[in-house]
Amino acid sequence: MIRSLRWIVYVVAVLVLNFPVIVTLVTSLKSGGELSVNPGLWINQPTFDNYLSVLQVSDRLNIFGYLVNSLIASSIGALLAILLAFPAAYAIARGSFGRRLLLPAIVNLRAVPLIIFAIPIYMMFQWLGLLDTQLGLGIILTIVNLPLALVVLVNAIADLPIELDEAAKIDGAGTFQIMTVIIRPLVQPAIVTCAIFGFITAWNEFLFGLMLTTNHAVPVTVGASFFFAASGGGVQWGLASAVMIVGALPPAVLGLLMYRQISGSLTAGAVKG
Amino acid sequence: MASRTVPLHVLSGAERRQRREWRLLSTPLVVFLLLFLGFPTILDVVYSLSQVTFETLRTPTISGVENYGEVIADGAFWLASWFSLRFGLITAAAECLIGLFLAIFLSPLIAKRSALMAPLMLPLMVAPAMVGLMYRLVLHEFVGPVPYYLYALFGNSPTFLGADTAFWTLCVVETLQWTPFALLLFYTAYQAIPEEARQAAQLDGASKWQLLTLIDLPLMAPTIGVAVFIRFIDGFRVFDNVYTLVGSGPGGSTTSLSIYIYEAFFKQGAIGKAIAASILLFIGSLVVLMAIGWLSGRRTEASS
Repeated sequence: MIRSLRWIVYVVAVLVLNFPVIVTLVTSLKSGGELSVNPGLWINQPTFDNYLSVLQVSDRLNIFGYLVNSLIASSIGALLAILLAFPAAYAIARGSFGRRLLLPAIVNLRAVPLIIFAIPIYMMFQWLGLLDTQLGLGIILTIVNLPLALVVLVNAIADLPIELDEAAKIDGAGTFQIMTVIIRPLVQPAIVTCAIFGFITAWNEFLFGLMLTTNHAVPVTVGASFFFAASGGGVQWGLASAVMIVGALPPAVLGLLMYRQISGSLTAGAVKG
Repeated sequence: MASRTVPLHVLSGAERRQRREWRLLSTPLVVFLLLFLGFPTILDVVYSLSQVTFETLRTPTISGVENYGEVIADGAFWLASWFSLRFGLITAAAECLIGLFLAIFLSPLIAKRSALMAPLMLPLMVAPAMVGLMYRLVLHEFVGPVPYYLYALFGNSPTFLGADTAFWTLCVVETLQWTPFALLLFYTAYQAIPEEARQAAQLDGASKWQLLTLIDLPLMAPTIGVAVFIRFIDGFRVFDNVYTLVGSGPGGSTTSLSIYIYEAFFKQGAIGKAIAASILLFIGSLVVLMAIGWLSGRRTEASS
């Protein structure tokens, strides 16, 4: 009895929490004609026409371009964060260097509204020629990813026995060698988790994409909103839905495949940070 | 760690070299942060004290605290602060309450089949900006299923994004997306409670309700505190889903602080005002963070 009640609550929770995604998926599979008479959740005549029109690149709304921009900027944001955080995490975990100032400062960054930095970064990027570039967006996404990457990597390294380092040191290995040859392979799972989670976070970022790009480097979260700007005939809901599904797919697929690791790093980042 | 308390001149050459190596390893990160956060922060402070327009961006003239005066005298700034505060508190409370219930009620199911967690986590993987756009569809008068079914069932449907209703609609949108975050944290904390603690209490004749209120919830309290804090912060600085769903809303009724700063800068070109507002927000967050650090420091001291 209580067991079936749990199942009912579970199914209702999944449906309600994912309701906007379900509605968008359903709408993306309807023709414009059907949508105007049947806005409900049932599809009478499923069609892939909307997806086919998404694939037709138009000059004004270049969905491929947005996807490529998101892919490049998010990859920079995920990888650069790890590249910067890993050596620092090693110094923090093993040398306690930066434990008092650097670590708390970066962890607290998670709690500071990033819009505070948005305007001066906008000005700075203008001078540096980084406005509306994939690299510029990637740099900002790196900042967004740094707090969690640092916490997860510090925890992963601190969990390894210090005897590993000491044994390697006796064998004559230097600090840098120990870090790259001994430690790095052992924390590989944490690095992969950081990369995946950082990629998802970066892909889903919106504010900086909106402020720092206008044309060449527009990411898909911002690009998708262009399909809603009423252009004479109003919003083409089927097409806009297909765009959103395509844009939401990469992080959703990654997230579903890696949900165990991601939930681990989410909780670690929250509780230990 | 011990070497920290030792004066530098007593360190051996090897120890000194080791310290230099640790510093070297942190250098790229520190330089990166100084360049892309430190420098912008200095710019922020300078510009907040200057008279500046888009034409005179490179040659600001120092004008004192004029910009701050303008922000503080601006009723819209206080309305935006009030919006953010209310939004953060309400959504954090709702997310954590629902998340707590779901985590505990569903834990027997999920403990046996962990894959059941994946569909619950899906909302966390979708960009909040996209979710905002999706709700434009969900709530749309003519093509949205929610008004469609409400009309079919009750013959009427409220305006979800009107001046009086938009705030609550946004609270629901935010809560539905981020409840899974609270759920996930609470589920992990709940699973971590040692079975012995529960068994001992059961032997002493504790009822299920007592088990929950006297054993489970106190043990989960630190996690609950962290979840409420994180969700409040994220709700307070909300931008993406509000902006894509309604913008600043009818009559500016859904202007969060982040949207206030964004619009002051990009729509009104009031650079000084926008920057002064962000500095005030910065100071506010630092004060809150320091208070939290002080409180949790006192709590650990008291418990040790």
